Amino acid sequence: MRPAGGLSRGGKRQVAVVRFALETVSPATMTDPRYAEIEGHRPYLVRYALSQLRDAQMAEEAVQECLVSALESLSSFGGKSSLRTWLTSILRFKVVDLQRRASADRARLEPTDFAAEAGDDAWLDDLFDETGHWREPPQAWSNPEAAFEQRRFWETFERCLDRLPAAGGRVFFKREIAGEDTDTICKDEGITASNCWVILHRARLQLRACLETTWFGKEATAR
Amino acid sequence: MEKKPPPGDPVDCREASRLLSAAYERKLTADESRALTYHLDRCFMCRNFDSQLKFLHAASERFRSE
Repeated sequence: MRPAGGLSRGGKRQVAVVRFALETVSPATMTDPRYAEIEGHRPYLVRYALSQLRDAQMAEEAVQECLVSALESLSSFGGKSSLRTWLTSILRFKVVDLQRRASADRARLEPTDFAAEAGDDAWLDDLFDETGHWREPPQAWSNPEAAFEQRRFWETFERCLDRLPAAGGRVFFKREIAGEDTDTICKDEGITASNCWVILHRARLQLRACLETTWFGKEATAR
Repeated sequence: MEKKPPPGDPVDCREASRLLSAAYERKLTADESRALTYHLDRCFMCRNFDSQLKFLHAASERFRSE
């Protein structure tokens, strides 16, 4: 079962982007069996780029540059890591590069991003009362793994990811979904390890609340 | 509902949630682990949160590999 969800985002335009990328490579590469396999990873790569850039056009640009680079250097892919891991490592550099180029805009658009998300603990007061207790205690989710088999669950999961604050969405995706190590994430984001932990703590609390409201809550009342 | 932490509980739910999340990024100190275990043994709400974090982790891995 494929967690589809927003992986389909981009639709026809994305297909056009990949075709363009593929047409720019040599015929020798096009006969490589991994050429078709790369196409299969495109939806994930688009999702990764969107989580980091939150801009469809920039995400397309990053994925396109990634695919062109990947196809050009396909012969250097030794198969030591999985193809997806290799492609993601190329994409990560493209994304960081685009973020740097857009950093002036980013500073203007989200001036308080990190201040609000990592600067202090005030946000915790919305979730915990003055004695440190849950304001809305987490419920027991019965047999949650069954949700993995449901396409609608993955759509809900992606919607909840999209609702995270910008830095939370970027860091959570890199840490938990792409499985990058904290040091690498800190370096890319230009933040300290403890900022990173605060952002992840907050993102996890927000995600679990979102899933409880939009998926497990609904399920619970339907049962 | 267990509203008040039992006497002697070294952490409240707010701190327990922070430690449960941090454990995915770093090894907790012996003191932190002990405090967390003590709290989890007595708080079903934080046990639920612990299970939910495991679920988020598993869902994320699944999302990556499919």
